[in-house]
Parts: sequence; C-alpha cells; structure tokens
Amino acid sequence: MLLIRCPWCGPRDEVEFRYGGQAGISYPSDPDALSDEEWADYLFMRDNPKGEFRERWVHAHGCRRWFNAVRSTVTHEIRATFPIGEEPPA
Amino acid sequence: MAWIEFEGRRVRIEAGDTVASALFRHGVRTFTRSIKSHRRRGLTCLTGDCANCLVRVDDEPGMRSCITPARDGMRVEREGGVPSVERDLLAALDRLHPLLPVGFYSKTFIRPRLAWTVAERLIRGATGIGRLPTGVRPRISQVRHLHVEVLVIGAGVAGLSAALSASEGGRSVLLCDEGEPGWLVAPGPTIERICSLAEAVQRAASITTLWHHAAVGIYEGPLVPLAGPERLVHVHPERVVVATGALESLQTFRGNDLPGVWLGRGAARLAGRHGLSPGRRAVIVAETAEALEHLGALGSSGSKLVAVVASDEIPAPTAGARVIRGGAVMAALGRRGVRAVVIRTERGSERIACDTLVLSTRRFPRDALLRMAADLPPSGEAVVGAGEVVAPGCSLDEAEQSGALAGRGEAVPISEPPAPGLGAEGLVCPCEDVSVADLERAWEEGWRSSEILKRYTTATMGPCRGALCGWALAAFARARGADALASARTTARPPARPVRLEQLAAGVHEVVEKRTGLHHLHVSRGARVDWSGRWKRPFTYGDWRDEHRAVRERVSLMDVGTLGKFLIGGPDGRELLERVLPCRVESLEPGRCRYVVVLDEGGYVMDDGILCALGDGRAYLTSTSGGAERMEAWLRGWADRWGLRAHIVDRTSALGAINVAGPRARELLSRLTDDPVDASAFPYGAHRHLTVAGVPCRAIRVGFVGELSFELHHPRSRGFELWTALEQSGADLGVRPHGLDALDVLRLEKGHPYLGQDTLPDDHPDKLGLGWTVAMDKPWFVGRVALQRMRELPLERRLVGLELDGDASSLRGMPLALDGRVVGRVTSCALSPALGRSIGLGWLRAVDGGFPQVLRAGSAQARVVPTPFYDPEGVRVRA
Repeated sequence: MLLIRCPWCGPRDEVEFRYGGQAGISYPSDPDALSDEEWADYLFMRDNPKGEFRERWVHAHGCRRWFNAVRSTVTHEIRATFPIGEEPPA
Repeated sequence: MAWIEFEGRRVRIEAGDTVASALFRHGVRTFTRSIKSHRRRGLTCLTGDCANCLVRVDDEPGMRSCITPARDGMRVEREGGVPSVERDLLAALDRLHPLLPVGFYSKTFIRPRLAWTVAERLIRGATGIGRLPTGVRPRISQVRHLHVEVLVIGAGVAGLSAALSASEGGRSVLLCDEGEPGWLVAPGPTIERICSLAEAVQRAASITTLWHHAAVGIYEGPLVPLAGPERLVHVHPERVVVATGALESLQTFRGNDLPGVWLGRGAARLAGRHGLSPGRRAVIVAETAEALEHLGALGSSGSKLVAVVASDEIPAPTAGARVIRGGAVMAALGRRGVRAVVIRTERGSERIACDTLVLSTRRFPRDALLRMAADLPPSGEAVVGAGEVVAPGCSLDEAEQSGALAGRGEAVPISEPPAPGLGAEGLVCPCEDVSVADLERAWEEGWRSSEILKRYTTATMGPCRGALCGWALAAFARARGADALASARTTARPPARPVRLEQLAAGVHEVVEKRTGLHHLHVSRGARVDWSGRWKRPFTYGDWRDEHRAVRERVSLMDVGTLGKFLIGGPDGRELLERVLPCRVESLEPGRCRYVVVLDEGGYVMDDGILCALGDGRAYLTSTSGGAERMEAWLRGWADRWGLRAHIVDRTSALGAINVAGPRARELLSRLTDDPVDASAFPYGAHRHLTVAGVPCRAIRVGFVGELSFELHHPRSRGFELWTALEQSGADLGVRPHGLDALDVLRLEKGHPYLGQDTLPDDHPDKLGLGWTVAMDKPWFVGRVALQRMRELPLERRLVGLELDGDASSLRGMPLALDGRVVGRVTSCALSPALGRSIGLGWLRAVDGGFPQVLRAGSAQARVVPTPFYDPEGVRVRA
C-alpha cells in the first residue's frame, strides 16, 4: 500500500484516498468548435505513460480535498503532492 | 501439574515445553508419516523449518509441534496413517517405491480420464496431509498496517544488532521474529550474546518489537506481511534487513530421514533446553566449530557419544569419544528409527551401532525472503541480508558486525554458501519423498534444469517449501554440468513460512457496515436487515404486501437516513450548483425543492436527488444512498477546478431522515406539530421547517412512493424519539414501517427507475425518459456539450415501462426478445398489488429506427406502456 502525503493532512495510508485520474486536463476553450473525435478525445482519452504521471487524488476519508500528485507508474513512487492549481516542485 | 491430551492419553508437560518436547519425553519417536511412501518421521530440526513434526493441535491441522508451546489442556493428535501414524499399513508403499517412479501419476493416469478422478481421491486420501476442521465457523483475521523506516526480520544476533544500529538517530524500527529472541537456541555463548543485545533493544525507544510474527513474503513496495497468531500485519518499510539465519544441511545418504537423524542445533536444543537426551548412543557429524557446543550439550544430557565424524578443521573434542577424520555417513540403518550407521573411513566402511545421528553440518542460508526481493526490482533494492543468511557459518562477532552495518544501510560482507555434492542415495526432499535416484531418473528423461526438475519431481514443493532441500536441486544440476541458468536456485515464492488460509483472506471481510441511527429500532420491530450497498437496511418487517398496503391506504414510515445530505453555501455556492446541475437553480425560490439528475461530462446520469433552496442563499441537496461519497468529491472537484468559494458540508451521518407516506400522512403529522401542514401552506414541491414531536425537522414534500409524503430530516440523535412518537401517535391510523422490498414495488408502480439497477453507465436523461429534468436553454452546465451532441443522434436505447402476462415477479434480468432476437432486458418487475397485474421496467434497443411495442420476456408477453403505471396524473402525491 502506498503512503500518500496529503498537502493538508500529511502522510496517510492509501486506503484513505480515492483516485481521480489524470490531472491537468483543461477544458476546451470552444467545445462547440471541436469535431466529435476531438470532443471524444477530450472526454475519454487519457495518457498512460511508463514513468511519471500527474494525477488527481482526493483525501476521501480525511479532509476530503482534492490535490495533485506526481507518481511513477513504474515504481509507484510519489515524487510530489501539491494543491490543485499549483505546479509540482521541479 | 499440567497435561496435554495426546491421542486419548494424558501427557505431562513441564515448564518451557513445546508440544514436541513433551511428546518426546513421553516416548513418541514417530511424529508423522511421509506423504508418498509413508515412512516414519521424527523430530529433526526443532526450528520450525522441516515438516517432520506436524501434528493436529486443538483440531487445527499442520501445526509445527517443535515451535508450538505446550499448554495445559491442549488436545494433540498425529495425522495420517491407516489406521494410525504408529501402525501404518500404507508403509508397504515404501517397498513399492521402485514401482512408483518419479512422474508416476502423470505417466499412469493419462487414460482413461475417469481413472484419475478415482485415483486422485485414493491418492489424496492416502497422503496423510492433515484434515481440515469441518463444521467450524471460520475465524476472521484482521489486517493491520504499519509504516516504519526499517523492518528487521529475525531476532538473532545479527537481527538484534541491526535493529540497534538502525534505530540510531531515532529512526523508527520494527523488529519481528517467528518466536522470541533466542527461543530456538540451546544454552551457550550464542544465547548470552542474544540476551545482552535483546536487553539493549528493549531499552531503545524507537524500536518496536513484534514477537511470534513470521514474515511470509516480500512484495512490491516493499510490503512485508507478517503472520501473527491472531492477525496479519502488513508492514510498509522503507528498508528491510533480513536476518533469518541459516539451517544445517540434511546430507543425503540412505535412511537420512529416519527418526533419530537430527540436525545439530535441533539435538542441542532438545538436550540443552528441555534436558532430554535425543538417544542413548549418538554419532555426530561435525563440520562446523559449533559442533563442539552440540557435543557438549549432548554429553550433558546423558547421551553416550560413540563416534565423532569430524572434518579436519574441527579440533579434537575433549570427550572420550572416538574421532573419525575424513569419514562420511553412507547410510543410517533401522526400521522404526536409527539402529546403526555406516561410516565410510579410510579403511573402508564401518558399521557403528547407535540410535542417534546428529548432523552438525555446514549451514545453508534461510534466504527465501532475500531471493524473493532479488526478483523485485526496484523495491528489492531496499532489502538487504545480515548475519548467517548472507554469510553462513560466520562467528558471533561477525554476525553482530554484519547486523550493525546492515542496520545503518551500509554494505555487508557476503560469503558464498557451501557447495557440497549430493550423496548417491537417500532423500533430497523428505516432504515429497523425492530421492537422489528420482532426480537421476528425471535427469535421464531429459529434465535438465533445476526449475524443470522441481516441477517434474515436486522436490521443494512440500510443506517446508524447500527449507531443507532448496539448495539440492541446484547442486544436483551443477554437478551434472548444467550451465548457470539451468543450475540456478529455483524461484522463491511466498509464503516463506506457513500461513493460515484465514490469514490469506484477512481484510476481505473488512467491509465497513453503515447503519442509520434507527438500526436497533428496526431490529426490535422484527425487520430483516441486509446489505444495501454499504448500508445495512431493513428489507421487510414481515410481510411486504402488508407494508405496501399501509403506504397506499393508510400511513407508513420508512427510514431514509441513508440518503446523501449536503449543505452547500459560501459566496459562490449557488454559482457552483448552477454550473454543475442541469436544472435551473437560480429560479428555484426559497422554500421550494426540485428533483435533479446529476450528469457527468459525458452527459451520462451519475446520480439523482432533491435540491432545496434555503432562504439565506444556501441550498440543501440530497443524493442516492450509494452515491453520497462520490457526489461530495465530485462537487468539491469542480469547486476546486474553478476556484469557487463554495462550502460543501456533508450532513449525511449527522442527519437522519424518516419518510412519512400515505394518504393519512398529513393527519398523523398534524397531531404532532403546531406548524401548518395543509396543502396550501405546505404544498407538493415545497420544504419547510417543522417541529414534530419536539424534534426540529426539515420536511420535504416529494413522493418517490407516489403518495402524499413528508420526508423529515432531523438530527440523528433524535431519530428514536421522532420515530416512536410517530408510531404511537399513528397507532389508531394503522401506521407501520415499510422496508426496501415494499419500496421496490411502490416506486416501480410510479415508474421511477433505480439508478444502477434500471440504468446503464452510459444512460443520458433522454434514454431514461428524464429529458424534462434538463434545462437545455441554460448556457452551460456539466454535461451540456455532450448532451447536445448526443441529441443530434437518433436514440438507440430507451428505458420503457412494461406490462407483462401472469405473475412476472421473477422475470428481472430476463432478455426481451423480438422474433427470437434479443433487443432488451427486464431490469425491474413485480406483480403490483395496487394494479393487480405484472409491471416492469426494462431497456430496449431501437429496431429499424423505432422501438418495438410487443416483446417476449421468457414465456411471458411484454407490452410497452407509458409510465407511471399508478396514478399517472400524480393526484395522490400532490394531495
């Protein structure tokens, strides 16, 4: 099980968290201008890298707040967790 | 005086006894029968490594008697053998061994196929592996998680020393052991060292100790599960030090598994700790310096040392025993136990009468955990060994030094394990009765690598999981010239130590059971309570038809405290709701409420609920019972994404809710409140503050069941008084509670779908006939873009109301067929008491651009009809 550092509560067991998928997917500025394929791309298609991945987590059984994490999909190492809207430390 | 009950007899136990030592004192020499050949097996290792001493203790099979402390009143039985372990008729199989060659089963039972099903029963019955207890309620093991910086496995000299050095600087250290420090060690210099280190460990503040917890394996993470007597502990360390020590090698010679053949440390422990002499006349094979300690222990226990077969490095023992240099054991002879050994000497072979043969041989590392870690990059890099497990045969000082280095995370000197050859005869794997001859035969048949030999002969696959013989397959292959890959050690897999099935299942049962504040009240009213999602809810209080009638004709109560309940406020609270909900929020006046569906970005229905506008700009939102957690996370996710200053307060567990439903609901309520509840002051679609029986409530007038109803949301702590007041006050009205069984039919009569049961994950509101809940003229809401795109496409599936022939209450899940082609499925159905006919909901695919009207559901005809089935104009709910 992972030990995840909630930016507000500190390190907690993975069971306290829910996964929220890829982070940083921005809403299209003009969704009506998108083709069906582009729209479907925005809606359904997510990256699946081997290596570092930015993703959303929510501390569901704690402060219940969302935050972002940078996790390696190879080692499960979580390099950083940080509030929504911020950038990960380099 | 304490006793254990052993096969109907009473056996006295003394302080410090294990089950094995008590039985040995009692005269038991044969503890088990081997699996295939039914050979006698007696105590051998006394360290919990081999499978020779497995007994049944208090109906639990397969307990290692050598490490099970004897307790007063224990019931102990030996397992296997026909009729018993002591007199086993199947021992004749041993003489048939040449007729039962390696691979016998797979060669013999290929055809006919049926033969194997018969033979398997006979063979399995004959093995003598313990019977599982039946008719016993399984115990439920708990899982506990521990996060530490350093985990040290094994509390020997190296492990204790590693824990001490790892704890320097206040690092958190967990030290675990299958037993306790020094519990398997015979008196001598080792135990003195262990005691002084253990005292220091006791004093160290940052070391936690966990005795009687055996490491089962190492997994990615690293994650190390420890099997304890009552629970499983999942340890999540940053680093692991494996200090599991080493085990003397069981040399291969004829009769090497006879009772009376001991590993040196085992014999020394029996003599030194339990004061029992392993036998009257002992021959000892001394390959290590430690053998002298074993010699001393044996001598003081009263065994007469007949001969010492010593390698040249060992100094001559002072005892008067005869020393044979450069000799080797050729065979141990005897039937019930060792009667004599044959030693090869420079002058030829010599037979020496004795009843005990002690093998103080070179030690092999107990390295299963380390080898598991090696297969686990990169987690495995956090795992290092210390002491004998990486340097078998090292001295006490070296072990302590090695532990200190490993504890600090520094490199540890490693020495190669010994690489002896195998003898020409004897058993390689006692658990599975695999002999050297079996390996040779397999080799001749072309199975020429350690991994393949393992699979073909099943060597190392017995209960000890290769503890005694893990090294032998590789040594065998290497001696025959196999290359490095084909003579590598076989893959180590968990469990490294025995683990109970209940522990493998540990955690599976740990489901959070949610209960409303009225749970005990329901139980006391005779409710059948069962799972509904994560909640335990009443399904019926006896007869659901009776409950149904109460709702339709009188008045009834239902505990709906499971609903998700949220208070949404803050400067941007209304803005948040306006953006996420597909209905118009701004136009909802305070005191009014509205049914809402919640869409995801794909336009699919995620959840539904009731939105109430409060007077102060805040809103109260309910969700389905199962959707509460997701609803909250979802709302917060959007608020965070847009940076809205919205407060979302989860009131789900703080508030209870009771639905008072039925034509006489108003009458009942008016008896308990002074607030107006008449239709003009409190109409359908409104919500009010009511004080009912002194309990402050938010009452919501909506009608899932299709009758006049008031949903009373109240402080959870006051639910009991509210419910009982309603019950007592409504007694003359015939009030009674209804459960989920009745609700299922009530809502079906109104054509309300259950999200999840009647819907599919990609149902948008139009497919469910809920298009009216969506205000497409709003410029933006979550899911609008997708919905707009989908509305341009023809509807390919729809949820429809069905009328079915006969009693269709068992047709749920039945495919809907058109001319034999499946075009849909029944998702809900019931024989409606209110309508007197079978009704249902189901989804239907479009066929040739239209939706068929008449279908078959099994043998019944199903006609598509409009919903609601009951009170289509909604007169009753608006009353």
